Amino acid sequence: MADLKVVARNQITKENQVLRQILGICSSLAVTNLMMNSLVMGLGVAFVTGLSSFTISLLNKLIPQRIRMLIQTFVIAFYVILVNLFLQAYMPDISKQLGPYVGLIITNCIIMGRAEAFAAQNPPLPALVDGFFSGIGYLLVLLVISFIREFLGFGTLFGIDLGLNFTRWTLMVMPPAAFFVIAILIWFTSARTIKAEQKERSS
Amino acid sequence: MELKNHFMKQKMMTKVLISLIPIYVFSVWLYGLRVLALLAFVLAVGLSAEYWVMRLIQGPKAKVSEAAIVTSALFTLTLPPTIPFWIAGVGILVALVLAKGAFGGFGRNIFNPALVGRAFIYISFPVQMTAAWAETYSSLPGGLVRYGIQGLTNATPMIALETTGSLTAVKDLFLGTISGSIGEGSALLILLAGAYLVYTKTASLTIMLSVLLSGLGFSTLFYLVGWSTVPVAFSILSGGFLFATVFMATDPISAPRDKTSQIIFGIIIGFSAMFIRTFALFTEGIMFAVLIGNSFGPLVERTVREMRATSKAKKEAVNG
Repeated sequence: MADLKVVARNQITKENQVLRQILGICSSLAVTNLMMNSLVMGLGVAFVTGLSSFTISLLNKLIPQRIRMLIQTFVIAFYVILVNLFLQAYMPDISKQLGPYVGLIITNCIIMGRAEAFAAQNPPLPALVDGFFSGIGYLLVLLVISFIREFLGFGTLFGIDLGLNFTRWTLMVMPPAAFFVIAILIWFTSARTIKAEQKERSS
Repeated sequence: MELKNHFMKQKMMTKVLISLIPIYVFSVWLYGLRVLALLAFVLAVGLSAEYWVMRLIQGPKAKVSEAAIVTSALFTLTLPPTIPFWIAGVGILVALVLAKGAFGGFGRNIFNPALVGRAFIYISFPVQMTAAWAETYSSLPGGLVRYGIQGLTNATPMIALETTGSLTAVKDLFLGTISGSIGEGSALLILLAGAYLVYTKTASLTIMLSVLLSGLGFSTLFYLVGWSTVPVAFSILSGGFLFATVFMATDPISAPRDKTSQIIFGIIIGFSAMFIRTFALFTEGIMFAVLIGNSFGPLVERTVREMRATSKAKKEAVNG
């Protein structure tokens, strides 16, 4: 079972889908203005990626190679609709704020990427862990970005006013800020990885 | 570790710094010694940031380029005199780390760093950047012996024109005894600095003339067609138009190098500046105009080069 732990850890650090593979960027840019949105979105993606990877891995032998991607998309769409209906029923406010982005989870490259790269060749349980933790890796990055944006842009965290009386950074509320913040994060993580690799090679 | 080993001297940059001295003296007279304190603060933050970023890129042999001093000095001149120190600090950090360091340091930046820094804080902190302006000292020794500004006013000549329709006299605009950003005031001093830069072959005359004539042309056009009610002389002399023409558009790194491209580059900037002023919500457009020019610069340069190559090939085909 040590294998599963490695799979999970890699998805959060070394192979982080957003910072290392540069996938799922579109939604990371769109929903990171508030931490609450990021949390809900990230959990939704983790749920969909985990279960769709699990299902696809189960169905693997039944799916003809030539229509493989079509079936994968159907499976993913099924789980996305579940998430969307759940949000509309129980969290209507957040559902409204996230707008079309919940439905667009289906176009998130992370999910299709995990289905193709991992679930199609692995048994159901590792596929579930891999999918779920790739979603968690995505969630963590989103939370870091939205922490910076919400804190500087609104002076709040998860919508709670911190009572700090400082000048708000209007730019952080606007979409372009997500570009800066995510680029800086990618810059730093890549630089660290390169350094670590160089150390490994020299030693 | 010797300080000398960590500093890259650049002759051209020294000349830009010399050309800025009269403008700084004049600004101190208008707004008090706080201008110099602000400059010192921006330099301290800017140079530390540059050294830190260059260490990431080049390792222990990192050098701070003299261009970083120029960027800091120019950046300071584009700020309102009342700007809080920390906002200026954020701006220069963005300028040297994101607009320059992230692209690879000196010689690699595609946008003018000082203007990227200013655009960042302009959009982030609109109140501090545009709401309060300082009244100017008008007698000697004025701000030369005082720290702070004389008092607050809420209008620069451009804002006054937009809100109340009152036109500032051309003579005041030319001499620079008007409220505004720290260094944009005196058209006379800016033109003198420009002449010095052209004379010492530091800045490109082609770019300056092209931006100026394009701005002149389009403001005349907009005025004659009736889209704009701003007289032409006012358009050219007010705001940061001349300052950006002389110091920002001519940045040798982010501007194109061959003459034809420089002319097209200048036309784009002049047009964008007047277009933004006339049709957009922003009062002043020259900052965005230069950045727009920067983003089109490489494309223009490549197109010009390709067109030259094809016409040369055609000629050879005919002759051969």
